Amino acid sequence: MRRSVFITGLAAALVLGMGVFGTGRKGSVTSAQEKTSTMEVKIDNFSFGPVTLTVPVGTTVTWTNRDDIPHTVVSTDDPKTFKSKVLDTDEKFSFTLSKAGTYPYFCSIHPKMTGKVIVQ
Amino acid sequence: MHPFDIKTVLFAKHAQHVVLIHFPIALFIIGVLFDFLAQWRKQPQPLLAAAAYYNLLVAAIATVPVVATGILAWQWELEGQKLKGILLVHLVMGCASSVLICVVWFIHRRSRRNQEEVLLPGYCLPVEAVAVVIVALTGHLGGFLSGVNGPG
Repeated sequence: MRRSVFITGLAAALVLGMGVFGTGRKGSVTSAQEKTSTMEVKIDNFSFGPVTLTVPVGTTVTWTNRDDIPHTVVSTDDPKTFKSKVLDTDEKFSFTLSKAGTYPYFCSIHPKMTGKVIVQ
Repeated sequence: MHPFDIKTVLFAKHAQHVVLIHFPIALFIIGVLFDFLAQWRKQPQPLLAAAAYYNLLVAAIATVPVVATGILAWQWELEGQKLKGILLVHLVMGCASSVLICVVWFIHRRSRRNQEEVLLPGYCLPVEAVAVVIVALTGHLGGFLSGVNGPG
């Protein structure tokens, strides 16, 4: 009788422990995803898409050049918050926006190409 | 942006190159055309030859600000970073085009100084033809880079 109570208790403890451990892991994965969330802006046909991107603080924005010709990604503020090198086709540029605010940017080779990232 | 906003036009960091480049291209191609017409006919064509010479002269002069503004655009807008791909090809071909335009003009100038009647060396027209092809290809790449076919 005592033995069966002990085994039942042990099994219950194991199940409970696994449940707590699993929940904890799930929670930690979610928070890691939040911290390293990325958003993509596609550069194609002489335009940024989406033109305006709204993201939470700490998001990494990745610009990918899908156009046939080179482009850059340069913030319009001074000093520049971010400035990429010349991106050839399929090259990427990433930047993590850690402060809230509005970040307008453009392509310095084609100044008519503009976009905006709103960090909330 | 207002089309007659002088400040914007003058201080746009790479707009001048895109504007100025049309002058040497047009002058050089027309100069070569005049030269071809002047040499093609059996009778001397001093007026056409003179027109060719002065077109080539102004084209050669016009290459100076074009090369300067192109290099400034590279240094200002791209902060002189190492170029590759189409931009590098455009830079190399642009420099080659400028040198060829000046060489063609120099051949004409030397021929005019040496003789009363202008008689160009036999290699002049082939050099001019090669130069026209290089200039046209450079211009094509420049148009491609500037996005003349794009929506903007």
